Amino acid sequence: MSVPAVTKEVEDFVGLCVPLTGFAAFDLYATGMAERYLETARQQVGAAAFAEFRAAWTGAAAQRGPRDLSPTHLEVARAITYLWLTGAWPRLAPAAHAALRRQMANEEFVVTPEAYVEGLVWRTFHGHPAGAKPPGFGTWAVPPPPQPSTVALRQDLGLDEESVCRTGLTAEVALDAVPVHLLPGYRASRAIPPSAVPTAALRSDAPEEHA
Amino acid sequence: MTDTVNTVGADEAVRRRYDVVIVGGGWSGSLIAKELGDLGWNVLILEAGNGGTETWPGYLDSLATFHSAVAKVPNSAYRRSVAAPFPDVLDLAPVPNPEPGEPEFTANGYFVQNGRLPYGTDYLRELGGAAMHWLGAVPRMHPEDFATERYGYGRSWPIDAAELQPWYARAEFEIGVAGNADDQRAIEVVTDPDYVYPMHQIPASYIDRYCEGLNGTHIPDDVTGDTYELHVRSLPQARNSTPNPDYSPVPYRPESAVGLPNYGERCVGNASCVPICPVQAKSHPLRQQARFAKTVSLATRCVATRVRLAGPTRGGRVSGVEFRTYTDPASPVGRSYVVEADLVVLAAHAVENARLLLFSGLANGSDQVGRNLMDHPTILNWALADEARGPVGPFRGPGHTSGWEAFRFGEGRSKRAPFRIEIGNWGWGWATGAPMSNVATSLGIGGDESGEVRRDGVFGPELRRLLGSTIGRQLQLQIAVEQSANPGNRVTIDRRYRDAMGNLRPVITYDLDQHTRDGLFAARKVAQKIFGHLGATDHTDHAPRNGVPPLGHFVHTLDGETLDLAYSGAGHGAGTHIMGSSAATSVVDGYQRTWEHPNLYAVGCGSMPSIGTSNPTITMLALALRSAEQIHRDLLLDRRPADLHGTAGGTTDTEVPA
Repeated sequence: MSVPAVTKEVEDFVGLCVPLTGFAAFDLYATGMAERYLETARQQVGAAAFAEFRAAWTGAAAQRGPRDLSPTHLEVARAITYLWLTGAWPRLAPAAHAALRRQMANEEFVVTPEAYVEGLVWRTFHGHPAGAKPPGFGTWAVPPPPQPSTVALRQDLGLDEESVCRTGLTAEVALDAVPVHLLPGYRASRAIPPSAVPTAALRSDAPEEHA
Repeated sequence: MTDTVNTVGADEAVRRRYDVVIVGGGWSGSLIAKELGDLGWNVLILEAGNGGTETWPGYLDSLATFHSAVAKVPNSAYRRSVAAPFPDVLDLAPVPNPEPGEPEFTANGYFVQNGRLPYGTDYLRELGGAAMHWLGAVPRMHPEDFATERYGYGRSWPIDAAELQPWYARAEFEIGVAGNADDQRAIEVVTDPDYVYPMHQIPASYIDRYCEGLNGTHIPDDVTGDTYELHVRSLPQARNSTPNPDYSPVPYRPESAVGLPNYGERCVGNASCVPICPVQAKSHPLRQQARFAKTVSLATRCVATRVRLAGPTRGGRVSGVEFRTYTDPASPVGRSYVVEADLVVLAAHAVENARLLLFSGLANGSDQVGRNLMDHPTILNWALADEARGPVGPFRGPGHTSGWEAFRFGEGRSKRAPFRIEIGNWGWGWATGAPMSNVATSLGIGGDESGEVRRDGVFGPELRRLLGSTIGRQLQLQIAVEQSANPGNRVTIDRRYRDAMGNLRPVITYDLDQHTRDGLFAARKVAQKIFGHLGATDHTDHAPRNGVPPLGHFVHTLDGETLDLAYSGAGHGAGTHIMGSSAATSVVDGYQRTWEHPNLYAVGCGSMPSIGTSNPTITMLALALRSAEQIHRDLLLDRRPADLHGTAGGTTDTEVPA
């Protein structure tokens, strides 16, 4: 079934972004940003390289997921996911930036003011973008609802249980023992864009989560 | 709101003489202008920055500027200006692998910095001033805070907390404060047993309630050797809430947005107070400006360059202000003007006031102009709440709605600087750039230390679940530490450093003394213990990463324990023209009037000899209202025939009987 009012190309792009973002096509369309993000990604990656990425991800998504992607394609998949979640194109790993032979500066930028407002990350924790979509007086006093499980999210998206949506890690992250390299560390300065914030450091006195 | 503000161009502005010229259209200048205008005085405000946000489309433009900013810092809703430049937290950069003993930062903006440590505070030269990006936190100062010399440090005030109480109450009415007076009485900063704030307190956040579980817990402070009992107290805020019907003499009517009537009369939880409240439920000076009497004129894009001294027979009196205009903020080409007035008020920010006084060569017989620069060095502490207890709901509501106050007071402050613990409502945003940085690190984007694509990361449902948990459990304690007056921390000028208009840029020399560093150390240790009691996992880490020390980094050893610590600027620039009881040791008197120039006032946080652990705006505004009344008396006195000769004799007759 085709989606009215968008091109086949945008429809395919949205379909490919569902397993990346964890959000249903309905939610992705509802941002109103699908076409803009497709153009942004194509422009940032380069038309030819983007076509190669699409082919690679189309194949990988049907098979074993992102772990089958080349490092450069993996970084592109991450950038597109970052775009949907934050409304900004991130700073890429320098190796991927070089491999793509990009002409533009490897800098983070917000695509449009509306893109920031439509970022999906806020919805992962029942929030709203800071400075937009206010929930109303006193709502901050109410306990947030519990998080849906990964299983429920998979079912909602129609993803089968076999599809693996992680790279490097052998098992799903235990939420009461999150590895610190998946968490952001202190920003040495406020000028460091979010995509360039270092991961939290492993320390000898590394915090142990209370299980 | 009405649109009565009388905006004039420079040509029109200088065509007449004024009773009062005020330099700066921020909080203090606007409040003083409104008071004097209501009393019938002819007032001109010279604002260096751009206007525009007083219209609704202009305000929305600022909002869009914020939305599209990558670094959503306090100034991110406002465009940079070459003509009237201002410091930004983005001006500072860390130095990788610094030489031992050398500064670990560079400053590449408006400020020239040559101190050991960075002065991390910004402000804004824009109509409304830094109040356009403030948080709206308005805790009064504690009686102890006015007299720290008793505890062996700092500078004491020539006036006390009791004197300021009625002025605090007036300021809270003028700007519209929501608060719980009982909470403030419990810590003795409000002393009137019948006082209520104009509006009921902003509701406490779920995070505050989560922390209330520790009420009654005793936390030892190893530095003072004392134990402090935790009690979550609400924060008074200049933010529209529900009017309190008990407020006297009549219930308060919340003020709506400037340029859009009946809008923004209550906070709706945009969670972006800094840098901009989209609905203007957060109070700002454009509201006061919209209520100006017809006798008040306002001129934007007028950069004051110097205050003029009247003739040598005029007893040190000043005659007016020189300023330059510009039409294009990006390429300033302007004309020079002089405007004359009976009385001049500098209300341009602590650093700008000092810069103007130094360049004008005025008021500096004590050699204290520019000295005693202060801020609230703020140490960030962050942790993940217990997964088993579920999410805490960060990034909702005002930036912080409650705090732990016990560490602000008591004899312990003689051993280390006191501090106020803000319970943050915006997760790890300040410390780590969350939630966006969580997306980046969960995906594994950006490359490893050698620039290669990282191996580990998650996508799809696992990404959503991981973010939901690791963002949803974020706790952050921002701890603001008192910094006391130190003459070595200072603003100077140097003819080598000029801005595009030819004005001299501020040269900042800044450091933290042992007392303040001990306070930061104690604050970090206390936060560790609090996180432990909450069952939260402390992720705070201020150590250099890959050889890069974070801004404000220093290593501190106390009682055999060594910690990597770091502080951020709080935006609370203060202390550059401090008040005192003697012309020999201070710049202004208790009314913020310069000792040497009976018709020159320097107002704002620059007048404060100490700032305690309270966000300084409400104290600044209490002082401004008190000064406005004194200015009124000064002007009346000038017009009495009997005094025509009296004021020419010098500074001896400037103390006016109240």
